[in-house]
Amino acid sequence: MTSKILQVKNISKSFAGVKALDQISLTINEGEIVCLVGENGSGKSTLVKIISGVYSPDNGEIIINDHSYKKLTPIDSMREGVQVIYQDFSLFPNLSVAENLVINEHLSSGKKFVNWKEFDHIAAKGLAEINVSIPLDMMAGDLSTADRQLIAITKATLAKARVIIMDEPTTALTQKEIHSLFNIIMDLKKKGISTIFVSHKLNEVTEIADRTVIFRNGKKVMDQDAKTLDIKTMEWYMTGRELDKSGIQFSHVNQQTEPLLEVENLTLQGKFTNVTFSLNPGEVLGITGLLGSGRTELALSLFGETPANSGEIRIEGKTVSIKSIQDAMNNRIGYVPEDRVIEGLFLDQSISDNVVVRVINKLVNHLHLINPQSISQVSNEWITRLEVKTPNGNLPAKSLSGGNQQRLVLAKWLASDPKLLILNSPTVGVDVGSKASIHELIRNLANQGMGILIISDDVPELMQTCNRLILMRRGKITNEFKRETITEELLNKEMVANRSGMVQ
Amino acid sequence: MKNSNVGYKSTIDKQTLLLLGIFTILMVFFGFVEDSFLTNRSISSMAIQLPEMGILSLAMMITVMIGGINLSVNATANLSAVLAGLFVLQVVPQLATDGNGGALIVTIILVALLVGVLTGVFNGFLVAYLNVPPILATLASMTVFTGIGVGLTKGQTVTGFPDALGMISSQSVFGIPLPFFVFVGVSIVTHVLLKYTTFGFKTRMLGTNPTAAKFSGINNKSITMKVYVMSSMLASIAGVLIMSRTMSASNAYGTATYVTLTILIGVLAGVISGKGSVINVFITVLILQVISTGFHMLLAGVKGSAFFKDFVWGILLIAIFIINYFSRSRNKE
Amino acid sequence: MLKKTIKSNEFITFSIIVLLSLIIGIINPAFFSLATVFDVLRASIVPSIMAFGLLLVIIAGGVDISFVAFAALGAYGTHMLLLHYGYQGGILLYYIIACAIGLLAGSLSGFIITRFDVPMFDVSLATFTLWYGFIRFFIGSAKNFQIPEGAVGYYAKFITTVKDPFVGEAGLHISVIYVLVIGVLIHILLKYTTLGRGIYAIGGNKDVAIRSGFNVRRIILIIYMILGVLSAFAGVTQSFLSRHFEPTLFMTQNLDVIAAVILGGASINGGRGSVLGTFLGVVLMQLINRAMVLTGITVEWQELVIGLVLTIFISLPAMRDRINKKTRHPVEIPDEI
Repeated sequence: MTSKILQVKNISKSFAGVKALDQISLTINEGEIVCLVGENGSGKSTLVKIISGVYSPDNGEIIINDHSYKKLTPIDSMREGVQVIYQDFSLFPNLSVAENLVINEHLSSGKKFVNWKEFDHIAAKGLAEINVSIPLDMMAGDLSTADRQLIAITKATLAKARVIIMDEPTTALTQKEIHSLFNIIMDLKKKGISTIFVSHKLNEVTEIADRTVIFRNGKKVMDQDAKTLDIKTMEWYMTGRELDKSGIQFSHVNQQTEPLLEVENLTLQGKFTNVTFSLNPGEVLGITGLLGSGRTELALSLFGETPANSGEIRIEGKTVSIKSIQDAMNNRIGYVPEDRVIEGLFLDQSISDNVVVRVINKLVNHLHLINPQSISQVSNEWITRLEVKTPNGNLPAKSLSGGNQQRLVLAKWLASDPKLLILNSPTVGVDVGSKASIHELIRNLANQGMGILIISDDVPELMQTCNRLILMRRGKITNEFKRETITEELLNKEMVANRSGMVQ
Repeated sequence: MKNSNVGYKSTIDKQTLLLLGIFTILMVFFGFVEDSFLTNRSISSMAIQLPEMGILSLAMMITVMIGGINLSVNATANLSAVLAGLFVLQVVPQLATDGNGGALIVTIILVALLVGVLTGVFNGFLVAYLNVPPILATLASMTVFTGIGVGLTKGQTVTGFPDALGMISSQSVFGIPLPFFVFVGVSIVTHVLLKYTTFGFKTRMLGTNPTAAKFSGINNKSITMKVYVMSSMLASIAGVLIMSRTMSASNAYGTATYVTLTILIGVLAGVISGKGSVINVFITVLILQVISTGFHMLLAGVKGSAFFKDFVWGILLIAIFIINYFSRSRNKE
Repeated sequence: MLKKTIKSNEFITFSIIVLLSLIIGIINPAFFSLATVFDVLRASIVPSIMAFGLLLVIIAGGVDISFVAFAALGAYGTHMLLLHYGYQGGILLYYIIACAIGLLAGSLSGFIITRFDVPMFDVSLATFTLWYGFIRFFIGSAKNFQIPEGAVGYYAKFITTVKDPFVGEAGLHISVIYVLVIGVLIHILLKYTTLGRGIYAIGGNKDVAIRSGFNVRRIILIIYMILGVLSAFAGVTQSFLSRHFEPTLFMTQNLDVIAAVILGGASINGGRGSVLGTFLGVVLMQLINRAMVLTGITVEWQELVIGLVLTIFISLPAMRDRINKKTRHPVEIPDEI
């Protein structure tokens, strides 16, 4: 297997003077599974867009099937057999599986009429080739995420793909589904189809990759056989520093005080069962686990979005009923969602309005009219305290960078003075520098007495911020660790062990 | 302007300037070509016609601001007038005969507003609690509201109101008819509600991003309900004005054009989900009225002259689409 | 397969039609007659033709209120033009000229929509006022009852007639054939052509449609050309059936046609809808009208009943979801990892 399918040579690409890619060279061989790893902004998605013809490189060369290109168009790229599977899978929810599978092929044939028998025939053959059975007449919108992904992969193979690029393909899959996805990738490999697997989940990378390529700040910093790499080394190359967390100050949590939050036998049917734990003021508790483990669902139940069916929640010893988000807020519970753009921010509204949205009811005068001065006062205070970088609070939130948007979401919640703050994946999509300062901020908030729950699968992040960790699996708490007794290696191992136990 | 960030710092946005520009050009144009245009009579005739349309446009605007639409505004106005009219004529006829104008008008307004609340709850329930797309919900409710009115009146116009009813429309202060002051008052109240109350703040947030609004603890259902109730109540006020001007109540007033016009005014005024300006709507209503009156005077005696303005409105709207398109693509660069 | 048919929107609409017919028939047996069928069909002809055009817009994810203006412009414009030249021939020339006018008006809307990226609904607002204003200012604002000699008897051209004990003679008008032909053509377009699949694709996900290589602008332009032609065709047909031409033809009926398309199972959010369903939706609206006359509900309450039926129909999906939510798992929440 030495035949080269795809080569990029000395590719560079700048955006507004910032080098996104710097002299990158990379070779993909036939039937090879290559994992592209790197933090956000490291350049891996820029490279994918260059290979798929969305961006044209500033200089360098792309060679596919011995054809050399200075720049590619999306159509060139597809014709050469490069297929990208985006996270939205590019399917039509209202069309049948068969039609979704064949439509691209049909369009490029230029035919004016549709032959449904032929559609079914091609689609059935395509699905059979990767050993998948999904009813051809089902609407794509009625399929599960995993099935939709399979359709997208089949679509790529039907388009005679030689290289399939998968962008964070496991994001919305359960363990079982990830396992069968990996089986399919192995099957594709046997057929000589190469896969470029873009991911930041190192345990998955170690499992599937033939070769691992690591990007940092637009440069390729590592390219070697995956078998000789361990997670720690990969991390080192990704971040460019030894992840040493000894410098972090953990205040001693006073175990004598009454717990801030007690959860007893909390159950939400189909999501989690009999969850019991407690959280003291000033404590940071990490809740981790794999997809489908119920960790996000648990957080959303505590926040009243999907109230639990049974069990008890006590806050400062008092039993509370949390049936709605309003209930949660009345108990001074805050929730910072993972998806800033969709769940957290009002991008078209001003930064100030975003800060005060939680406390607007308090910013009124005796006539119950909003006082614009109070708004700018409160928002300026939080913009300063959280170091949100902006020239003017009146600018729309969409003018901020990713890290600053994340701070803005935090500011919005902190402004409402919560006792308990639930953070869902607080640093997803945030650059390394902002990440560290957000972690520091979390520690500081805890030191001031706030109780914090962090939902995350980012092991270093959990190690840096949490006093205690809960591991969830299939809706149940399976293990609990004290910070003093766990190391990053051990936690990684636990999570992976947890996974393989599940797959069998 | 849909994508402009430029107007954020200044208090006057680009759309306001554009509209003011159009308004000025039109005033100058008609002032020059038509001597009688800037006379008291002409201005007062304009001021008596535009409040109904203006208030209906505000009723439409607030629903568009939360990503909705209210096709039933005109039906609500008419039903309010019909029910208020039937109430004073048939349930409390002594009010109509006593000659107590004040009590009559107050009763009519109260009944109309009550109808506004009920119709608003009907719309709000469909949209907020049954998740029916607003365009369908209010299409259905429009038929229901008109249906109730037609059923009760057997399709006839309700007439026979005492002269006192006409007071609202016939009174003027400083030569300007009372309805215009009603419009100004309603506009100011709406402006304050949207700009300086938590209700207005939440309305904007809900319109910008309903999911984030939910996660920020805004009760989306309740805000949606309130918006539709407010929309209907505004429509009811317009209904009372129509009733007073025509001295009658009917389900047929404005059915062909009013709803279309209110949406058109909203589009011209740059109302979108999460963003809407009472001032822009106000100026737009003035513009439409100037075009209407201006061409009416200019084309006096020409057959079908009353319809030329419809033609111009359509052209104007298309012109705004094209201007917006180019300013959008310039902003992108 | 059977299960799928039963769950389909067309089947629901069809069931409502059957149920409603049975109820009316039981209350008033005179309802069960060919005369009723002919009558309902005749009333459905014109709205069906417009609804077929509108269906394309709705499947593509848009809404339009201006198609009635295309109809008025086509019919009234053609009539006043031909009247001016003293035309006394048959109906065919009417159809040709009117369809050409409709094609132009539709193309103009399609051009504005695609060239300046304006939502279909917004453009239709502008063209709605524009064309009705244009007709009444530039063409004429009065109804006209002169029918060219060659087309005088057209309104009563029947394929077949039956004697009915209650209404006397009743006939099946020949323009039913138009509905059949146009319906079949649009069905083939939607189901068996690449263009038609493109319309569904745009309604399903416009961005993916562009990415997949559909020429979205061209498709929308063609949709509007078809809408223009069909509306003008319907306008001429209506004018000859009612034996007069009016400048404000259909002006207040656009929402009824939208309602019929929705009753026929099309989704207002786009991506779903069929010719058969749309026809059934139109028939259902007409049936409700007849039902009230025949069951003794007085005419003035008709509109309310239609409104209530429409309200219940559009609330059905929400209620179905509600029941599903209670029996199925709670809302699925996307997770990471």
